[in-house]
Amino acid sequence: MADDPQRNFRSAYYEKVGFRGVEEKKSLEILLKDNPLDVEKLSTFSQRFPLPSMYRIHVWKVLLGIQPPHSDSHALVGGYRKEQYQDVLEALEVMRYISASTPSTHVYLRMFQLESQVLPRCSETSPPDEENEDFLSISRAMEEIVDDPIDCYWLIKCFVNQFHSKFGDSLPHLPKSLEHYLSQEEPRLLNHLKNTGALAQLPYSLWFRRCFAGCLPESSLQRVWDKVISGSCKILVFVALEILLSYKLVLMGINRPEGVVKFLCNIPQENTDAIVTKAIDLWHKYCGTPMHAV
Amino acid sequence: MAREQPNVGDLLPLLETSDLHQLEEIRGLINEQLSTERGSMLLNGLVDYFLETNSAQAMHILSSVREPHDKHLLDKMNECMTKQACRLPTLTLLGHVIRKQPSWIHKIARYPLLLSLLKCLKTDTDVVVLITGVLVLITLLPMIPQAGKQHLWEYFDIFGRLASWNLKNPGHVSEVYLIHLHASVYSLFHRLYGMYPCNFVSYLRSHYSMKENMETFEEVVKPMLEHVRIHPELVTGTKDHELDPTRWKRYEIHDIVIECAKVSLDPKEASCEEGYSCSLNIIQIMLFVSLQNSACELNSSCGGKDPLWSPSSLCGMATPPSSRGMSPNLELSHSSSHLPSRFHCTSGDTFQPILQWVIVLSRIVMIVIHLELFQTGYHLMCLSFVAAITEELLKITEENQELPGLRGFDSPFYHTTETLTGCQAPEKTLPNIQPGGPQTWSFTPIDHHLHRSPSAPDDDVGKYGMFSPSPCSKTPPAPIPYESFFDLALPRAASLFVGKKTTEAVHKADGEEEGLMSASPLEVLDRLVQQGSDAHDKVLKRLPLPSKSADWTHFGGSAPLDELHTLRSQLLLLHNQLLYERYKREQHAVRNRRLLRRIINATALEEQNNAMKDQLNLQSVDITSLRESLQVEQQRYRQLWDDRETVVTRLHSQIRQLQQGRDDYYTKNQELQSKLQECQKRMDELEAELQRANNKICHTGHLLNQMTIKLSNSESTQQQMSFLNKQLLLLGEAHKLSMQELHHAGPDNTKEAQMLQVSYRKEVETLRQSLLVQGQKLEAAQQRVAELETLLTKKEHLIAEQKKFLEDVKCQAKAELQASDSRYQAQRRITQLLQTELLQLYSRVEMEAPAENEEADTRPLHDSPHGNGSTLSPGQPKASNSSKVTANSINGGQDLAPPLLVEPSSLSYPHADAPLTVGSYPSAKSFLGMRARELFRNKSESQCDEEQPPPPRLAGLAHGLKTELCVEPGSSSAHEPLPFGFCAN
Repeated sequence: MADDPQRNFRSAYYEKVGFRGVEEKKSLEILLKDNPLDVEKLSTFSQRFPLPSMYRIHVWKVLLGIQPPHSDSHALVGGYRKEQYQDVLEALEVMRYISASTPSTHVYLRMFQLESQVLPRCSETSPPDEENEDFLSISRAMEEIVDDPIDCYWLIKCFVNQFHSKFGDSLPHLPKSLEHYLSQEEPRLLNHLKNTGALAQLPYSLWFRRCFAGCLPESSLQRVWDKVISGSCKILVFVALEILLSYKLVLMGINRPEGVVKFLCNIPQENTDAIVTKAIDLWHKYCGTPMHAV
Repeated sequence: MAREQPNVGDLLPLLETSDLHQLEEIRGLINEQLSTERGSMLLNGLVDYFLETNSAQAMHILSSVREPHDKHLLDKMNECMTKQACRLPTLTLLGHVIRKQPSWIHKIARYPLLLSLLKCLKTDTDVVVLITGVLVLITLLPMIPQAGKQHLWEYFDIFGRLASWNLKNPGHVSEVYLIHLHASVYSLFHRLYGMYPCNFVSYLRSHYSMKENMETFEEVVKPMLEHVRIHPELVTGTKDHELDPTRWKRYEIHDIVIECAKVSLDPKEASCEEGYSCSLNIIQIMLFVSLQNSACELNSSCGGKDPLWSPSSLCGMATPPSSRGMSPNLELSHSSSHLPSRFHCTSGDTFQPILQWVIVLSRIVMIVIHLELFQTGYHLMCLSFVAAITEELLKITEENQELPGLRGFDSPFYHTTETLTGCQAPEKTLPNIQPGGPQTWSFTPIDHHLHRSPSAPDDDVGKYGMFSPSPCSKTPPAPIPYESFFDLALPRAASLFVGKKTTEAVHKADGEEEGLMSASPLEVLDRLVQQGSDAHDKVLKRLPLPSKSADWTHFGGSAPLDELHTLRSQLLLLHNQLLYERYKREQHAVRNRRLLRRIINATALEEQNNAMKDQLNLQSVDITSLRESLQVEQQRYRQLWDDRETVVTRLHSQIRQLQQGRDDYYTKNQELQSKLQECQKRMDELEAELQRANNKICHTGHLLNQMTIKLSNSESTQQQMSFLNKQLLLLGEAHKLSMQELHHAGPDNTKEAQMLQVSYRKEVETLRQSLLVQGQKLEAAQQRVAELETLLTKKEHLIAEQKKFLEDVKCQAKAELQASDSRYQAQRRITQLLQTELLQLYSRVEMEAPAENEEADTRPLHDSPHGNGSTLSPGQPKASNSSKVTANSINGGQDLAPPLLVEPSSLSYPHADAPLTVGSYPSAKSFLGMRARELFRNKSESQCDEEQPPPPRLAGLAHGLKTELCVEPGSSSAHEPLPFGFCAN
C-alpha cells in the first residue's frame, strides 16, 4: 500500500490530525481496480471506513456475492441475475401471485419466498408473519437506497440470506451483549431500564432482525448496513447502545416500558448521522479497528 | 473747425494775461489746435500777433512749433522779411526759433527765408537789423553746414560788407552800434574761419588784396586775425574738401561750435578746449586773481567807492557758478565781476549817461559770459588744479590762523553732504564771512567745484594731489602772497602772469582807448557795458546833481528822443547779444555734459582697468606660485619616474632571470617527461611480462595440478605396479614353480601362458577404453540431467502459473456457475411451483370433469398445440368455475388479488390460456416434457384414485409428488447426476 505511487503519502497523517475519509475514495478505487476483486480487502475496508455512496451498491453487490469478484464476468452474471429476476417475476405474474398493482416490496417478498421454496400456494396465502415483516421492512429500506429493482431484489435477497446464514446464531446473544456494553457505558440507564422493566421489552427485533430498517433513515442506515454486509453484526449492538445513550435523558424520564418502546420505535430522525458515527466510534473502541490491511 | 478758428484767434490777446492758470489753459488750447490742424491760419495769426505785440508767450509757442507747421512759419517769416517795418521783429523771432533748435531746422536751407536773410544782410542799412541778422546767421551756420556750398560766397560778401561798415560807417550810426556790430562781425569771422578756413582765407586774400579794401584789412580784419591761430585745415584741407557734406556728418552742432572756438585765441570768444588755449586760460585765472588783488588794492586805495564795491559782488565774481548757474536769475544775487573793479577806477570819464537798466543788463551779459567760460570742461580742470593748490594753502593757513568759520567750507565733504537747497544759504552768507582776508575767500571755488561733481570727491582729491606734488612739498607755511606760490608751482604760467600783470599795469597807465583797441571786440563791448554800468552807478550816486543830467543830454548833441531810440536799439542789441551768448552757453553746456559723461566713463574704465591690473597681478602671482609648484611637482614626478625606471629595469632583469629559470625547468621537465614515458613504456613491458609470467604460472599451476593428478595416478599406478610386481613376483615364483612344474609337466604350458597374457592385456586395454567412454557418457548424461532439471523447474513454474490461472478461471467459472446455478435453482423453483400450480389445476379439472380424463391423458402424447387447444376448449366453462374456486381460495387466504374477484369471467381467459403455454412447455424441453408427461400420467392415475373422495388438495399434491418421486428416479437419474457432479467438481 505504501509503495503505491498513486496514493498520496500524506494519507497516513490525515487521520492523525482528524481528517477522515480523505483518501478512502481513492483507496477504494484502487481496490476496485483489482481483477479479480479481493473480497477480503473490500470487506475490511468497508468495516474501517464509510463507503462512498457512488461505490456503495457495487461494493455491496460484490460483498454479497451478487457480482463475482472477476470483473470480466460481471456482464454475464449480471445478465443471469436479470434473467432470473425476470423469470421469477414472470412466473409469479403468471401464477397470479402478483399483479401490476402489487407493491414492489411484496413482489420481492413473493420472489424471495419462491426462491426459498416457502411460497405458500395461492389459495393458502396467509398474512405475513414476523419474518415476512422483517423482510418487508428491510426491502422497504433497500428500495429507498437502490433504484434498480433487479439490484434491489438481489440485494435484499442476498442481504437477508447472508444475515441469516452468518449471524442467525449470534442474534439471540445480541441483547445480552447490549446489556453488557450499556453497563459499561451508562450503568444508571441500565438500572433504570431494568427497574422499569423496559430492558426486556426493548425493540430488539427492530434493531437486530430488521437491522434498524424503519428505525433509522436510509442515509444513516446504509452506513450501518455497510458494516453488517462487510461481516459484523456487533455494530447493531453499538447502534442500539448509542441510541440509548443519545436519548438517555428522555429515557430516564420515561418510567413505563411501553413508553420506552414506543419512543425507541419512533426515535427522532434528526441526528441519526451523529448517532451512527458515534456508534461506529464506539464499535471501533470496543471491538478494535479491523486490522486487516486495506 | 472754421467756426473755432476765429475763437482761437481771439484768444491770442489773452496770452498776455497775468493769471497763470488761464495762460496755461490758453496755451494748451493753442497747442492743441496746432497739433490737430494743418492749416497755416492760426500760425500766421500768431506770427502777426507777435510782430505787433512782441509777446513772449507767442514767441514761446512759435519757437516750439511742430513739424507740419514749419513750412508755414518759414514762409510767413519770409513774407514778413520783405517788409521793412517788421524785419527786425521777424529776425528776432527767427533767432528765437533757431536758438530753440527744432528738429526741422536743417530744412531752412531749402526755404527762401535763408536767401531773403542773406539778401537782407547784404542790402540793409539798419545797423540793428544787421547785427541781429548776423547773430542769427552765426547761430544758424553750424546747424546747416552743408548749405555753405551754395551760399559760401554770400557769407563772405556779408562779412566783407559789415567789416568795411565798421570803418566807413555809411549809415553814420552811433559808435555804440559800431561796437556791437564789430563784436558780431568778430563772431562771424571766427565762425567762418572755423568752419571754412581755406575758402575764407582765399576770400580774404582775394578781397583784401584790392587797394580800396586795404584799409579795412589793416583796421578791422588784421586785429581779428591776430586772435586766431592757424587752422589745421589750412595745412591739410582744400577748398573742395571743406565743402564736402560728408565732412560735417560726424559733427554735431556743438562740435562745430567748439571746433570754431578751438582755433580762436581770444578767451572771450572761444572756450578753453583742451590743448589749444590752456596757457591762455591759466593766464586768465591768474588774471582773475591778480585783478582781485588789484581790486582789493584799489578798494583799499579809493575807499570812497566802497558802496559800489560790495564784498558780495566780489565773491560772485570770483565764485565760479555751479550748475545752478544755469538759471541766471539766481546768480543775480552775486551779480558782479572782476571787471567792475577794474573799470571802477577808470570810469568817470566816458559813457556816463547810461541808463540804469542798461547796466543791469550788461551785468547779466557779463555773468553769462563768465558762466559759459566756467562751464567748459577744461576750465573745470583748471579750477580743480587751482583748487588743489588752494586746498594745500588752506591747510597751511588753517594750521596757523584757525578760522573757525571756514571749517565748514574748506572740507571737501561739506557740499557733498549738503543738498542743493541747502547750498544756497552758505553761498549767500559767504561774503559776510570772507571780508576777513582775501586769502580765504579766493579759494572758495573748490567747494563749488566739488559740489558740481559730488560723485567722486575723493578721486578729485587724489587728482589734485597728482596735479600739485611740488607745491605741496615746497610751499612754506606762511600766508604769503600767491604770486610767489604760482611762481614756484608753475614757472611758465607765472612768467606769463607776470607779463600780463605788467601789461595790465601799462593799460592802466595808458588809458582805456588804447586798451580797447588792442583788446578783442568782445572785450571792448564788455568794457562798454561795464562803463555803462559804472556810469549808471555814478548817476545813481550823483542823482541829486541835475546839472550833470543836463550836461549829459547835450553831450551827444542829439535830441533826447533820438537818444532814447538809440538806447532802445542798444538794449535790443544787447538782448540779442545776450541771447546769442546764452545760446553759445547752452551749446557748451551740452558739450560739457557729453564730456563729463565721457570723463565718468573714462574714470570708470580706468578703475576697471586698475582692478583688472590688480587681478592680473594677483593672477600672475598665482601663476608664479603655480609654476613653482609645477616645477616641484615636475621634479617629484621626475624622481618618481626615475625610481619607477629603476624598479622597472630591476623587475625586468628579475623577469628575465625567472624566465630563464623557467625555461630550464621546462627543458628539465621535458626530459623528465620523456624519461617518465620511457619508464612507463618499460613498466608496460614489465607488466606484459608479468602477465605473461602470471600466465605461465597459471599454466604451470594448471600443469602442476595435472601433474599432481598424474603423479597421484602414477603413484597409484606405482602402487598398482608394486602390487602387480608383487603379483608378478608371486606369479613369477608361481610361474617358476609352475615352470618347474611345467618343466616337470611339459613345455607347452609356457606358450599357452604367454598367449593368455597377451589376451589379458588386450582385454585390459579394451576395458580401459570402454571405461573412458563410459565416463564421457556419464558426464554427458549428467549435463543432460542438469538441463532437464532446469527445464523441469521452468515447467513447474509454468504449471504453477497455469494452475493459478486455472484457479482464477475456476473461480470465475465457479462464480458464473453459481450464478447460473442459482438461476437454475430459481428455474427449478419456478418450475416446481408451476408444476404444483398445474397439478392443483389439473386436480381441480379432473375433479370437476372426470369424464374427460382419458382425453387429457392421451392428448399430450400427440404433442400438438392444436390438440391442446381443443383439449381445453371444452373445459372452458369448468375452468371458469374452477377459477372461481381458486379465486375464492386466493381471496380467502390472500387479499392481494382483488381484480380476480371483480372480474372472474374475464380472468378466466388468461387462465384458460395459461394451460396453452403450460401445455406447450414440455414440448420445447424434452426432459421437462417427459417429466410432465409422466406427471400427467401419474396425476391421471392419482386423479383416478382421488375420484371418489374430494381429498384436501395438499394431500393430493403430496400424493402426486410422492408418486412422482417414486416413479421418476429411473428416468431422472440419467439427467440429474450430471449437473450435480459438475457442481461437486
